[in-house]
Amino acid sequence: MSEKNENEFCNEKKFSSFFLDNSTLLFNYIFYKCGNTDLSNDIVQEAFIKIWKNCAKVIPNKAKSFLFTIATNLFLNEYAKSTVIINYKNTPKKDYTNESPEFLLEEKEFEAKLQKAISNLSEPQRIAFLMNRIDGKKYREIAELLGISIKTVEKRIHNALVNLRKEIDVF
Amino acid sequence: MKENYYIAKWLNNELSEDELKKFVSEDELRTYKKIIEASKKLQAPAFDSSKALNLVNTKKQQTKVKKLNFQLVYRVAASIAIIAMAFYFFSAKETVYATKYAEKTNFTLPDQSVVDLNADSEITFKEKNWNTNRNLKLKGEAYFSVKKGSKFTVNTKLGSVSVLGTKFNVIVRGNYFQVTCYRGLVSVSYKDKTIKVPAGTSFKAEGNNSEQPFAINDTLPSWIQNYSSFKSVPYHFVIEELQRQYKIKIEYNPKYANTLFTGNFTHTNLDTALKAVTIPLNLTFKTIGDHKVSFIENKN
Repeated sequence: MSEKNENEFCNEKKFSSFFLDNSTLLFNYIFYKCGNTDLSNDIVQEAFIKIWKNCAKVIPNKAKSFLFTIATNLFLNEYAKSTVIINYKNTPKKDYTNESPEFLLEEKEFEAKLQKAISNLSEPQRIAFLMNRIDGKKYREIAELLGISIKTVEKRIHNALVNLRKEIDVF
Repeated sequence: MKENYYIAKWLNNELSEDELKKFVSEDELRTYKKIIEASKKLQAPAFDSSKALNLVNTKKQQTKVKKLNFQLVYRVAASIAIIAMAFYFFSAKETVYATKYAEKTNFTLPDQSVVDLNADSEITFKEKNWNTNRNLKLKGEAYFSVKKGSKFTVNTKLGSVSVLGTKFNVIVRGNYFQVTCYRGLVSVSYKDKTIKVPAGTSFKAEGNNSEQPFAINDTLPSWIQNYSSFKSVPYHFVIEELQRQYKIKIEYNPKYANTLFTGNFTHTNLDTALKAVTIPLNLTFKTIGDHKVSFIENKN
């Protein structure tokens, strides 16, 4: 049975589907850490190549967290942080609007404040918060991927929100 | 519960808004709601996972191939080294017999065939598997007494001679090629032609000119008996042979180079030999220094 499992990740098809299922999340995770798309791209590729080389050692239900651990370690090796700036989606312009220009301006200002506050978050808080908000990951999933407890995820998200609110309310 | 991460709980719908109000003020709640609302519009940079997969697959192949190649390179290198050594020690080991000017020798091949090597000649062959693969290379002139057995081949730059068992002489000097058969039958391969040379005949060729085998009277090559015998041979060839046998340098008028010469000279007396090659052409000779002789025309 274990042999069958070993072969799974060494199989081209299995590897490809594993890649397509997880590469975007991994990319985002590295980006939340460093804010550098090129570096994130490189680390994603390297991490998956490591998975391929060690395909026989990959345990299927631990594969994702293994992947994230590899990427985290690779990131430590290439420690090069810049400010993490998360952009907003371009919301389609509405033909009509019942919102006042003041409200729209206020909204823009708020978004800018939030963006800045996010980049000022500590790395663990930012990762937990954004994986939940952008990638829609449940606390349990985040805990699994990062190899931490659900409680820790809750703590990080809670503190992230508290810190964001404080920074926004001060200005 | 000591630690209560109420905001996280509320965000995860584990806590109602009313319950949250126990912990946070109205204003704070409004900001949290705004943060949650605004964060819905956040997005990570674009990531093209299929493009990335292609890149990874390319790199994957590269690393894979590289890995394989290294093993392969070592294996191939080791194999080549072993084969090369084997060849060196067993198979490709060539035996060379060579003579210098004024020097003759004879030796026995592994199959007891005997080779007499005239002056300034060389024979190369592989002792390994000699009995099944009787091939040798000749430069110069040699007389072979071949024991019966497998095909015996003498390769020269001008042509090759094949026999099964016989006695024959081969000369390869410059463009001149002559095969004389004393017993049995030899097959000569010369410029895409195969010529049968029966016992008591000789085949000679120079450049593109070859003749049908002609009859000879000898039962042994003359040089074996310490003289050189020529029948309608270009004079330059006679002079060259004389130079080889006596290790001398001869100067003569080049107009005689292609004059055909018939006659003998001995290998044991230079004076006699020089007379033998000069008198028929009405020449005299003069010794200049130790190893130099000049042929002069008679003035009469």
